[in-house]
Amino acid sequence: MKQLLDKIPQRQATAGLLICVLILPWLPLGDSTNYILRVLTMAMLYMVLALGLNIVPGFNGLLDLGFVGFYGIGAYTAGLLTVHFGISFWIIVPLAALNGALWGILLGAPTLRLTGDYFAIVTFGFSELVVMTMRNELWLTRGPMGLPGIAPPSIFGHEITLDWEYFYLVIFLLIVVVFIVSRLQDSKIGRAWFGIRENEIAAQCCGINLIQYKVTAFAISASIGAAGGAFFANWFKFIHPDMFKFWESVLILCLIVLGGLGSIVGTMLGALVMIPLFEILRTVLPQELFNARYLIYGATLVIMMRLRPDGLLPFIQDREKKAKQAAERLSDYLAGTRKPEQAIPVSSTKE
Amino acid sequence: MENLLEMSSLFLQQLVNGITLGGVYALIAVGYTMVYGVIQLINFAHGEIYMFGAFLAFAMVTVFNVPFFMAAILSIIICACFGIVLDIIAYRPLRKAPRLAALITAIGMSLFLQNLALMIWGGEIQSYPREALPAFFYQEAIAFGDVTITWIQVFILLVTVIFMATLHFIIHRTAVGTAMRAISQDKTTAALMGINVNRVISFTFALGSGLGAVAGILVGLYYNAIFHMMGFIMGVKAFAAAVLGGIGSVPGAMLGGGLLGVAEALGAGYLSSAYRDGISYGVMILIILFKPSGLIGRSTTERV
Repeated sequence: MKQLLDKIPQRQATAGLLICVLILPWLPLGDSTNYILRVLTMAMLYMVLALGLNIVPGFNGLLDLGFVGFYGIGAYTAGLLTVHFGISFWIIVPLAALNGALWGILLGAPTLRLTGDYFAIVTFGFSELVVMTMRNELWLTRGPMGLPGIAPPSIFGHEITLDWEYFYLVIFLLIVVVFIVSRLQDSKIGRAWFGIRENEIAAQCCGINLIQYKVTAFAISASIGAAGGAFFANWFKFIHPDMFKFWESVLILCLIVLGGLGSIVGTMLGALVMIPLFEILRTVLPQELFNARYLIYGATLVIMMRLRPDGLLPFIQDREKKAKQAAERLSDYLAGTRKPEQAIPVSSTKE
Repeated sequence: MENLLEMSSLFLQQLVNGITLGGVYALIAVGYTMVYGVIQLINFAHGEIYMFGAFLAFAMVTVFNVPFFMAAILSIIICACFGIVLDIIAYRPLRKAPRLAALITAIGMSLFLQNLALMIWGGEIQSYPREALPAFFYQEAIAFGDVTITWIQVFILLVTVIFMATLHFIIHRTAVGTAMRAISQDKTTAALMGINVNRVISFTFALGSGLGAVAGILVGLYYNAIFHMMGFIMGVKAFAAAVLGGIGSVPGAMLGGGLLGVAEALGAGYLSSAYRDGISYGVMILIILFKPSGLIGRSTTERV
């Protein structure tokens, strides 16, 4: 299986997959086309969110329990700007992302000095405070009445209303986010992040400014979450404080853990499997049982951490293992117990 | 003058309510703080054990007609065992794994148990049947002007004080308590001194979970409400109390619980009841930001 995967040229495979997705709305699927498109749009929105969250626990090894707070901030920024000022969608998404980044910096700068568990609980408190504000500040958000009547986005004067149009819109958003995240991963910043994840103290000794890199990661993660929220508001056209409860954060975390923390492909596959799965469960299970679906998320997190902490995909595990071996070889070499030619692995550094 | 009297009696009433609530927070907070002390992990599932404590007593009273106090004691014992099982299944295998893995497991466990309760008992708010409880519980014990203290409040305070005193005794006067303190300082050295680390950690979980169950039953009585979400909200607030007092410190958890209970009752009475839960989160965030070691906790330095 693995050898088979290695043989496929990556670029062509990606292009082929993209074409398959792009022609999907035009396949003769009959009446269910729109339903399938909506579910896939949802799955891709969650891919965007999961890629955004992945930067913090996946790349930096910090547990962020408040991601949905930024998603909510983005959604309400977009919703309120559209409803009150009628600003174009194409300006709103960057504005929402900026607002998310701003809050990310405000929250991250003081809290990222803390150890991981304090950071986790502070982010949780933050997301609860965001939901509480949405619910209680009626003058701003209309509180529990929700915010209806958000205008659809338009492109060159044409209003986007149909399912396939949103489908393409979310593909566009996803491609932009995947591009940003994968470029970041391979950049100097990305390497610093992985260094922080593997060993904070060693990273600091190598001259990495921990706070600066962590706050950058948190701000980028928050802005991707907020951009996702902006898309959600304009797609769903109605937002409500209950949509941004803490459980959403856990769901997104669950997607990442399934695919493998820190893996872009794994994260996307996690969303592609889990979100449609829950759409199916919604129709199959009785309401009572469906309400307890978070049971599965919880069990997934526990079981994955116990049995497959690197995710379900074999090739990601493999890559991680190679990287770990390389690090071990390097430290053995530095400790003087290994010859230099064995120290640097030749084939496995290429990802 | 009359206005002043009215104001001061409102203040006193909120103070009494706050102290009652604070006692319960303290009972839950020591569970967090003891576990954090020995394995440096936020046991997010602790709030769920508290919820199970309330529900198990409820189930025994309503389904099997067990007398209330009997049911309460049984529920506390079951929850203590439950704490041990939780540690063995979920946390022990990850002792040497990165912290992130253990934290994710803790969150997963919390979510799992919460929804398990939702499946078993449904989403409606339940309450202990009045006829199973002693009749005097909801009558007033002391009336002082407009300020009233009900028997249930007296009972909660009494139980809290008794359990806290017992806990203090266990930690400072018994061998296992000494072992707990030793492990919280240095696990490896403690093991070298012949302490069975895993057994002491299990004992810590049992102690914390038992106290959590006590708190669950008391809150179920006080608010007349048992529901599957009760543990999560309360758990985070109790964690805030533990942080306020200084995590890892048992007297700190008691102090933090008391202060947070009073702050919340006064805040809900005077500022805004809509942000009632927000007060605890706000206090927690501020303390973590400005004094992460808490009011009487020791500050920790990171070791390489």
